[in-house]
Amino acid sequence: MNLFLKGGDVATEDNAPTRADVWIVDGTIKAVSVMDAPEGARVIDCAGAVIMPGMFDAHVHFREPGQEQKETILDGSEAAINGGITGVVMMPNTAPSIDSAAVVNRVMEIGRKCRIPILTSGCITVGREGREMAPIAGMKDAGVLMLTDDGDAVPNAALLKRAMEYGKEFDMFFASHCEDPQLAGLRALNEGPVSYRLGIQGTPALAEEICMDRDIRIAHATGAHLHIQHVSSKIGMETIRWWKEKGAHVTAEVAPHHLMFRAEDIGDYDTHYKMNPPLRTAEDNAALLEGLKEGVFDLIATDHAPHTEFEKSQAFVDAPNGLVGLDHALISLYDRFVANGDFGWELLVKRYSAEPRRMMRLDVAEVAEGKPADLIVFDPNKATTVSKEFMKSKSSNTPFLDKTVKGSVEMVVLGDEILLER
Amino acid sequence: MARKDFLDIVSLDREEIIHLLDQAKPFKDLFTRSVKKVPALNGKTVLMLFYEPSTRTLSSFEVAAKRLSADVTIFDVPHSSVTKGESVRDTIDTLQAMRADYIVVRHRLSGQPAAIARQTGASVINAGDGAHAHPTQALLDAFTLREVHPELPGKKVLIMGDILHSRVARSTSTILDKLGVEVAYCGPGSLVPHTRFKRFTNYDEAMKWGPDAVYLLRVQKERQEASFYPSDREYHSVFGVTQERLKRISEEGIYVMHPGPINRGVELCDDVLDYERCLISQQVENGIAARMSVLYGLKPQTS
Amino acid sequence: MSLALDPQAISTAVSRLADSIYEASVDGNIDLVGIRSRGDEVAERVFCLLKEKGANVRLGVLDISLYRDDFEHLHENPKLQSSEIDFPVDNSHIILVDDVLFTGRTIRAALDALFDYGRPGSVQLAVLIDRGHRELPVAPNYVGKILETNRLDHVLVRLKNTDGEDALEITSKK
Repeated sequence: MNLFLKGGDVATEDNAPTRADVWIVDGTIKAVSVMDAPEGARVIDCAGAVIMPGMFDAHVHFREPGQEQKETILDGSEAAINGGITGVVMMPNTAPSIDSAAVVNRVMEIGRKCRIPILTSGCITVGREGREMAPIAGMKDAGVLMLTDDGDAVPNAALLKRAMEYGKEFDMFFASHCEDPQLAGLRALNEGPVSYRLGIQGTPALAEEICMDRDIRIAHATGAHLHIQHVSSKIGMETIRWWKEKGAHVTAEVAPHHLMFRAEDIGDYDTHYKMNPPLRTAEDNAALLEGLKEGVFDLIATDHAPHTEFEKSQAFVDAPNGLVGLDHALISLYDRFVANGDFGWELLVKRYSAEPRRMMRLDVAEVAEGKPADLIVFDPNKATTVSKEFMKSKSSNTPFLDKTVKGSVEMVVLGDEILLER
Repeated sequence: MARKDFLDIVSLDREEIIHLLDQAKPFKDLFTRSVKKVPALNGKTVLMLFYEPSTRTLSSFEVAAKRLSADVTIFDVPHSSVTKGESVRDTIDTLQAMRADYIVVRHRLSGQPAAIARQTGASVINAGDGAHAHPTQALLDAFTLREVHPELPGKKVLIMGDILHSRVARSTSTILDKLGVEVAYCGPGSLVPHTRFKRFTNYDEAMKWGPDAVYLLRVQKERQEASFYPSDREYHSVFGVTQERLKRISEEGIYVMHPGPINRGVELCDDVLDYERCLISQQVENGIAARMSVLYGLKPQTS
Repeated sequence: MSLALDPQAISTAVSRLADSIYEASVDGNIDLVGIRSRGDEVAERVFCLLKEKGANVRLGVLDISLYRDDFEHLHENPKLQSSEIDFPVDNSHIILVDDVLFTGRTIRAALDALFDYGRPGSVQLAVLIDRGHRELPVAPNYVGKILETNRLDHVLVRLKNTDGEDALEITSKK
């Protein structure tokens, strides 16, 4: 392979994109500078495009084993590539849950057949039932680093504390889906004017905030590293900021939809805006964006949650929570925030590529001389219509369905393979 | 000046401990005689008050008392009025009338033997209270270790398992520490508290420390409402003495001890029991001699 | 306090003991069991002298702390030492050896201890010093020296290996 990306701007996590050409030979970046095209290289015209390291999504649901009608690991990985993402971490709320070395080995085996690396988290408790600790050491041996009962919190504080005391000694870390089960109620939408108008019992942000504080305190007392997933409220953001200032070993992620949408978008019971944690208020949107820019949030993660059309077409209360995100997260983030100057490319690279990899103890992907090729070509001047045909995910439950957004992932290069070329 | 009670190791000084250990040897020598009894406690009454079940410790004390020619009464707690709600205090008052000279107590609540000792002139011996202490176990452990390592100071003993809930860990580590042995703890992060002893949560790291003996504790899932570790199977693979680990232990000539009862396939694999440096049966045998030494060394104040 | 016996006198008493035991022996086979403490050192010395004479001697030692009759009255129980009789007691003709014979209670305890090892063919008693004042029907078969003492006198024997020197002192209580 001998590839020359000509005329583009290279983005890194520290600097705004700078004009440079990128020359890749046999999977390694040979040069990043303004230069003439080398002899024999295949030239790709990247004028006006931004060349960035491949994105990394630390929170996806691939539904395999057990619910392959929604998504399979293979389909999910293709959706990732489609969206410029070259690595993912799967969540363990499958059927059976990923709560033992045997299931971990099974999904990793399937993952090896995909074109990008697939990592998985493991459950804290057996079956995510919150009663018995899962065989953590066994999962560590099979390659798991992150332990989470995502989909649910761990209601028993004693069990969570002991799991942290036990699991941290194997150099693993914990991730929390924060939700007090007694306050969670119907888990349908935020408690507020919209829940009142629609006549459905809402869940207060309190349910997430109480649990978040509790989990961080337990982790802080035991010395475990805790990662807070899909933070959705202003107080949640402030809680994380406060604990970080105290020196707690806590990290946190925010999902694009919590930055972009609010409860009002549900409109007339539109289930495309139904997820857990739910969409909240404009004030929360603003606070989360501020938290992202300040660095309170270490990373962006989609919480990619495929569901079939049939399921999402049910009554609001009955429809499952979540939306897919891999195919269009990057372009929608560009469209909503980078294009109008809310934040720059560096933040995208840092929070959706570099930091997630660091958390998973992987090498950071960089567009730099000598590094292995793991990069995407993003054209901000093209647009993408997020149609079913465009999407590689098996499911299409997203508010962006059939909408057109600015930006397009034109090419994905990983190692010596071009995974995507439009 | 002899003590009235034997409640824990913490209150003993090094000289007292060594005295008790030295005195256990002559009692052990008796075992090979045809008449294993001596009349030292002839006419004295020893009362067994076991609120927690235990066949092994109970029978060990019973044999020890009988070999000293004492009269033994086993107060059968489950069938007694205690289960009808009579408090330990009331039981003691009733038992005072029996005029026992020695009372051997095992209770699930820490501190009960001490409470009983304050209320009676009989000599109270703690046979295990809650997660607090098991001093006679500690004594027989030290005695057994001293048989294979006569020079104890400077030796290293690794205590491995559920330290948090173990009275054996507390008493045995204390006695070894007082005798100059270096003690370290190893086990799941959730079951090894931070104490003044070295703390390991990884088997290989612990073995690198170079113990002369490994003291295995029983791990029990049934004591746990919210589990401290996932399963016995995972415990065995991460901390148990598997056949693989036994091979290396055998190569280093490390001794293996266990207070019993053992959980086969959890703390250890079956082969450990056939390992020539496994001291488990010596511990049991020495238990009787150690308990005789304790009974002989106490002075009740009943008159 | 007065020195009743000097090292020379002690030595003479030991020899006398050995001689009388040797003369009484029918077949030259002699089994000695010394009573701790000090009775064991006396037995050892007698053992050596008998060996010199060519007797076939076996030596054992007995700790009788566990057989005493006075536990009730002590603040703490006496320090135990080990006993060691590595020849069979059954049918043996044993000579118990002690340093001082006084009330006879020690010998009674020694007999109880000995009989818990087996059933001897016969038991005799050899003592270095007999100071009288028996409280039990015990009589020695061999005596090194007879001493007249008062009941309340305190008789202290010291022997070379146990105490560093040979001596016997009597302290009178007034």
